[in-house]
Amino acid sequence: MSDKILTRAEAPASKSGSSSWRQFKAILRKDIVMEMRTKEMLTSMGLYTLLTLVVYYVALSQTGNAFDVRLIAGGLLWLAFLFTSMLGLNRSLVHEKDQGCLDALLLSPVDRPVIFFAKATGNLVFLLIVEVLTLPLFWLMFLSGSNKQIAGPWWMIALALLVGSIGIAGMGTLLATMSVNTTGKDFILAVLFVPVMFPLLLGVVSATSAVIIGDQGWVSTYWQMIGIAAGYDAIMLLAAFGLYEFVIGA
Amino acid sequence: MPEAPRSDLALEVRELSRTFGARKALDKVNLELPKGAFLSIFGPNGAGKTTLVKVLTTLTNPSKGEARVAGYHVVEDAVPLREHIGLISHNPLLYPDLTAEENLLFFADMYGLPDPAVRVRELLEAVELDHRRLDPVRAFSRGMLQRLSIARALLHKPEVLFLDEPYSGLDPHAMDILDSLIAQIRAEHTFVMISHDLAKGLELCSHALILAKGKVVFFEEKESIDDEAFGKLYRSTVGMGVS
Repeated sequence: MSDKILTRAEAPASKSGSSSWRQFKAILRKDIVMEMRTKEMLTSMGLYTLLTLVVYYVALSQTGNAFDVRLIAGGLLWLAFLFTSMLGLNRSLVHEKDQGCLDALLLSPVDRPVIFFAKATGNLVFLLIVEVLTLPLFWLMFLSGSNKQIAGPWWMIALALLVGSIGIAGMGTLLATMSVNTTGKDFILAVLFVPVMFPLLLGVVSATSAVIIGDQGWVSTYWQMIGIAAGYDAIMLLAAFGLYEFVIGA
Repeated sequence: MPEAPRSDLALEVRELSRTFGARKALDKVNLELPKGAFLSIFGPNGAGKTTLVKVLTTLTNPSKGEARVAGYHVVEDAVPLREHIGLISHNPLLYPDLTAEENLLFFADMYGLPDPAVRVRELLEAVELDHRRLDPVRAFSRGMLQRLSIARALLHKPEVLFLDEPYSGLDPHAMDILDSLIAQIRAEHTFVMISHDLAKGLELCSHALILAKGKVVFFEEKESIDDEAFGKLYRSTVGMGVS
């Protein structure tokens, strides 16, 4: 065993400065590599979403053609994604905590908001993957008939999904961090999640519904609601930036 | 007016307290440890040993008082301090789904090391795990995990190494390897070790500390310690239980 490597004098590890960007990339890459290897989060989130869609399909198939599913499609879509995201968010930090690795991460010279942004970005990536896989299925099951065409272009739904997912991943990561050190972590996250998310849900569900249904003035309604959701995202990101040091150290 | 930090001290702890609700995990702890010393911390379960190490490694904030490690304040200078400390715990603090090399490269990025691949390869060779560098950590034995954990802790060449029951769960061969690694790096590091093994703790230390109910009941240099009297004090302290 070489003793030169272990001692401090022989080869001082002069630091090039642990830049926040490098740390952000390292945490994000690590989370993605681990998820691609285990597929625990994506599998559970994907299966849960599929199960939810099947339940919707069975329930709505009883209503026949008289019921216009477009009226509730926005709500159905976001309900599925909301509960799916809770499943993933809970796992993202609990996994780190259970493996005892959170302490190792916290021991490194990283500003806590960097951990937040990396974790939130990872959660956003996983949520978007599930959404991209689910959306075509949702369209096929509920919106593919000739009398069920959506009013607006798909990119507007995609934008609403992106804005909503940023808020869910960001605030969800903050709440998951708050709950990770508590005994009833699943319960705490579930109790806090929906009330805190209400303004965001109001914005993105309304925006998505506006595009699908296409009532009079839907374009202005859409942008108004996207504005509310985007404002929520901005406030949430600022709050998380300021609070994360306290939250993760509590 | 607060006193200026002393450059000859690795640890300066003044009136340090940490409470969890009504429970005092640490109660006005004071101690000074010179650079290059080896401090063994003894005490019963719940005495505050792990809380003290958590405060000194910036993993939790003190409720009152202050502490400096390697001259850095544990709250005000927490981020730069973390570049100067390492922790080896009974828990390896490694990601089981990553390989040995990926684990060390990840932490090398976190510490901003200039040539991470070179440093990681050197350390894997030093702890004799280079032949297993591409294996996932979950396939490692306890001894191998502990060796990799040592490599992780030494990656950034810390000045002060914290050891939280590092011998816990190791077989005799793995204990020998850990002894050898500690002996190699002993001269250039300050050590703070939590131990329930009185003989091992006394063998390694230059200073010994007994904590009970969050308070320091004994803190002396090893040269002035009578092993028999210390053993009696330790056993009576363990009998005191927790706060």
